[in-house]
Amino acid sequence: MQNIEMISMQINYLVTQARHDIYTLSTLSDTSMKPQILQRLWDALSTIHFLSEWLANQAKTSYHFLPSQPSIPVPSGNLNQSQIPPITPLPTPPISQSNQRTFTIGELATFTGKNGRPAYVAVNGIVYDVTNNRAWAAATHFGLLAGKDYTQEFASCHAGQQSILATLPVVGRLV
Amino acid sequence: MEGQILPPESLTNEAIAERLTSTALKSLKKRTIKKKNLIYLELNGCSGNIISLLNGQNPDFEYTLNSMVDLKFCNSLMAAEGEPAIEKLMKAMDDEYILAVEGAVALKNNGLYNIIGSWQGKPLTGLQAAKMLGEKASHILAVGACATHGGVSAAKPNPSQSVGLQMVLPDKKMIKLPGCPVHPDWFLGTLAHLLLYGEPETDNLDRPLMFYSTLIHDRCPRRPFFDRGIFAEKLGDKTCLFKLGCRGPVTRVDCPTRQWNGHVNWPIGDNTPCIGCAQFGFPDAMAPFISYDTTRVVKNE
Repeated sequence: MQNIEMISMQINYLVTQARHDIYTLSTLSDTSMKPQILQRLWDALSTIHFLSEWLANQAKTSYHFLPSQPSIPVPSGNLNQSQIPPITPLPTPPISQSNQRTFTIGELATFTGKNGRPAYVAVNGIVYDVTNNRAWAAATHFGLLAGKDYTQEFASCHAGQQSILATLPVVGRLV
Repeated sequence: MEGQILPPESLTNEAIAERLTSTALKSLKKRTIKKKNLIYLELNGCSGNIISLLNGQNPDFEYTLNSMVDLKFCNSLMAAEGEPAIEKLMKAMDDEYILAVEGAVALKNNGLYNIIGSWQGKPLTGLQAAKMLGEKASHILAVGACATHGGVSAAKPNPSQSVGLQMVLPDKKMIKLPGCPVHPDWFLGTLAHLLLYGEPETDNLDRPLMFYSTLIHDRCPRRPFFDRGIFAEKLGDKTCLFKLGCRGPVTRVDCPTRQWNGHVNWPIGDNTPCIGCAQFGFPDAMAPFISYDTTRVVKNE
């Protein structure tokens, strides 16, 4: 469980940094530095929040095979992957397997992003996941609701911006 | 040449400031620079932008009136009323002026849904005033959501057929300051830039880059939560408000760093989502402002 050791080291480091920042803030005379230090404190705190959630989850799920694990060396590639969360929360893992899934317009209509459902939209026959896309807060985008075919809307607002589609995770095809 | 600065000239702040002030005073005396006239027109709206303007600091409103511009007409702030007020407006058109417009232009029934006064016994519509004053203005500032793109006045079902100012002045160049309301700094800063250095640099939607260049999302103090997928489930939660419908990711303006009410706080700082009031298409395109059914997690798809 080098993984957990690294996480706890990271938390310790963040706590040390936060303590230092609090000390700096308490002695600060030049107020122009204040927003930056507060921002760093905030970032540190949210990282600690995230890591502690992760640790708690880890403790819940992998409790039973804890004793047998420690002696087995973990390849460093794996370690890096699981240690740091991705920059943008894209729900790719469960989706990549169902890349070739097909949707009828009726099935698509159930993926509204509400009540725990993912938010899907179709453009040019391809169904994309916009659940955690930043332009789709609350599964809505400039008055459009998730769960529909927006081929025409995309063409009228984002003509020549195919790159937008290229960044979206594909979940299947519309039939 | 008298105006040239030759070495060894002192370069301390005081010396530079002294030179600037004396040059400015000399130019004022010689009338090579003078205060510009400002006409502030309120059309179909709620006067929210003028109220917001009164909240300005550095410069505040008093400084604006005393040192930056001669305010020739503003129906909310002037003492005159009735036809004498409109007479002042008509007289002001004889000189060069900067036109600031807040509120949308109501088109229905030839503009009769928005009457801003009466002139020679006849009602003067917002539509008439916008066209007449817009054609002659040296610079035009569209202030607030309604003037820039219709805003709340043009929200569905838009009974007055309101449109943004550009729609009735299609060939005129104007600086657009969306926001509901506009931040006093956005308006006063743009006005100051206009007086000191001419038109500020704008983006392809005519918004000054000095205020409207950055996505709220990119300077949001809660960005780390978004990046890690930690989302607020209700108002008051201290994490990312994305799932509740925060429009920070689609709104370009400097609220996170500038803040409101004397630079003390802003919506996300008070645990409520950005409603995208400075985005074109507000409010219809930014609706719903809040959703709860997107934050619920129901196990098993």
